[in-house]
Amino acid sequence: MTELAIPVLETERLILRGPEPEDYPDFKATFTSYRARFMGGPLNAYESWMLYAAEIGHWAIRGFGMWMIRDRVTDQTYGMAGGWKPAKWPEAEIAWVIWPGAEGRGIALEATNAARRYFYRECGWEGAVSYIDPKNLASIRLAERLGAKLDKAAAGIDGSDAVYRHPGPAALDGTQLAHGIEMEIRHYADPLFRPKGWALD
Amino acid sequence: MTVTLANTPVIETERLILRAPKGSDAEASVAFFGTDRSRYMGGPQTRAQAWRSFAGVIGHWVVRGWGLFVVCEKGSDTPLGAVGPWMPEGWTDREIGWSMWDPSVEGKGYAFEAAQAARAYAYGTLGWTTAISYIDPENARSIALAKRMGCTLDDDLPLPDLPDWDGTLVFRHPGPDALA
Repeated sequence: MTELAIPVLETERLILRGPEPEDYPDFKATFTSYRARFMGGPLNAYESWMLYAAEIGHWAIRGFGMWMIRDRVTDQTYGMAGGWKPAKWPEAEIAWVIWPGAEGRGIALEATNAARRYFYRECGWEGAVSYIDPKNLASIRLAERLGAKLDKAAAGIDGSDAVYRHPGPAALDGTQLAHGIEMEIRHYADPLFRPKGWALD
Repeated sequence: MTVTLANTPVIETERLILRAPKGSDAEASVAFFGTDRSRYMGGPQTRAQAWRSFAGVIGHWVVRGWGLFVVCEKGSDTPLGAVGPWMPEGWTDREIGWSMWDPSVEGKGYAFEAAQAARAYAYGTLGWTTAISYIDPENARSIALAKRMGCTLDDDLPLPDLPDWDGTLVFRHPGPDALA
């Protein structure tokens, strides 16, 4: 079987592996829908398939790329996260996309945090950005939870995107910010405070 | 970190090596698709488009288990072009595709030699029973190559539903039995 030796990352709830052929229908469902409006979509079937193939090929050209986010237990896919730097990108990006049914569970936070840590610790990255459509409030919120800040001076891809600059490796090494991110992820996996029934007036 | 395709075949012909694409081939492909020589294959493209297309050429191997081979002269690893089986989503049949990137090796019959070997691989190893090549009607050199390979026009096959594809010719290759 033809394969690429893409590294595997594990977190408390997730396993990040390279994209595989059988994962394509979930990717296509998102990228051919209105959900892809902030990511250059919706795409037609050919464009979607070629982008999926390009997500895989990116690993071979750059040595890093996007992982498929999977449930550790069920192997269900939840979306993709990782590093992205095709031609024209001014800087290496931490990128993510979450399938519609997997929202609201902190999955993107857990996956992007693991990806960023891997790039900082194993690949020697000294920083990263995320290019985000200014109307994509969910992604802006995630960038902020990751400690990224709007960098108005940085070059974007085409002038229509906001550049969020991630904290560097030192700012995430045993700092309050790093602990805060870990705590939020832990809280999704095992909530500290659960509502005890319904509030009745 | 180097990430390369594993378990991919290598085909040897009289003068050429056909191997799987790798990351270091990207620049040669991007350069070709930035020039007017790619006008019959969706070019010229921006650098951003061409880069993603070549990333897709690599990824095609993972998704399908086969894909375009990069053509090199024996004794050299310099990528000269891409030839071989190709079928992204939306294709109406399995294609044998070819594009020679390096103009300095034109006229040597390399595309013919490589395409023949790739077709034999598709029929023999992959078990294809037929193959087509989509060709721009103005691409006289590719039409000549298709005819040299024994292809005939197939007017019945619908084209991929893509912009600017109207008028594209479909050449059908002789099947494995006809070539045996």
